[in-house]
Amino acid sequence: MKLHEFVTTKTERIDCDKSVYDAIEKMVDRRIRSLVVTFPGKEVDCGVITARDIVFKLLAKGLDPNGVKVSEIASRPLVCVDKDAELTEIAQVMKNAGVARVFVCAEESIMGVVSLLDLMSAALVGRARGNGLS
Amino acid sequence: MGFLKKALSLHKQEQKVVEKMRSHLKLLCSTCDSFKNALEANSRNAMRDVADLEREGDSIRREIISDIYEGAFLPYFRSDLCQFVEVVDHVFDAVKDTASCYGETSLPEELREECIRVALLNVRICEMLFLTFEAMLRGEDLREKTLAIRIYEKKVDDIKLSLFRNARSIAVNGFWQGKMLADFISGLTSISDIIEDASDHLQIILVTIR
Repeated sequence: MKLHEFVTTKTERIDCDKSVYDAIEKMVDRRIRSLVVTFPGKEVDCGVITARDIVFKLLAKGLDPNGVKVSEIASRPLVCVDKDAELTEIAQVMKNAGVARVFVCAEESIMGVVSLLDLMSAALVGRARGNGLS
Repeated sequence: MGFLKKALSLHKQEQKVVEKMRSHLKLLCSTCDSFKNALEANSRNAMRDVADLEREGDSIRREIISDIYEGAFLPYFRSDLCQFVEVVDHVFDAVKDTASCYGETSLPEELREECIRVALLNVRICEMLFLTFEAMLRGEDLREKTLAIRIYEKKVDDIKLSLFRNARSIAVNGFWQGKMLADFISGLTSISDIIEDASDHLQIILVTIR
């Protein structure tokens, strides 16, 4: 089953020189759990910062989010999948990389992001349509 | 069909109604698809076709209601069926009204892609409503189908938030342009809500039959 209907095409971004506090503010404001971190260069050279990164790498250690730049804790490179990737293939990529979201990349641009919840939604809709779980 | 035949004594008159309800839902899928295609092509002419399809839907609705009250199905069951048909008709109305707003506004390019995504999701939800209706006729459990509709609806809701957030930052030339744009986005994102209501009615019908 293809996932294009479940891809979130609008990806929120933050500059790598911004503080983690700025990132937290944006994530809380937009009610999202990750931000694409833009570095100078090509779009696919971006990184990602997640709520998990912020909590485990910073807040749990008692560090000040205002004193740390997003680039210091962002994960790079992005874990990407092809826009035509199948659900099972994406699940395998997530499992191997130990991540909860992967980016859909085409040529040198990011087309969207797919999370674990999107995979579950796609699987349930596939079942309802009679396409099975994969 | 065997399930309904047993539960409702599905004879010729009832079969006629079921066939018309099927056509009504298929027409709804085509209407949403035409809307999406017109939006993709940015064609106001093609958007006018949506109004024609809505009129056709209206006429099928009248036939269904009239056939039901002329004696198809057991009386206790008629109002639930009619309510379902009326809710489907509200979906037609919402698609038509949204198409009319499109004719009166110029959709900013930065919103177009997300609007097309919502239109595509609306087509998918309609298809799922049709599958749910067919499953109901077979007497199957509708849980998986209605969950799929809710998943799609939630996806539309997420896009709606972002659409309105982005729309707020776009400059408009006066009150009416802003109002038509807001009405277009509200209409586009309300279609899935009404389809969800229709699927709830199918669940009620199934429970009533059982």
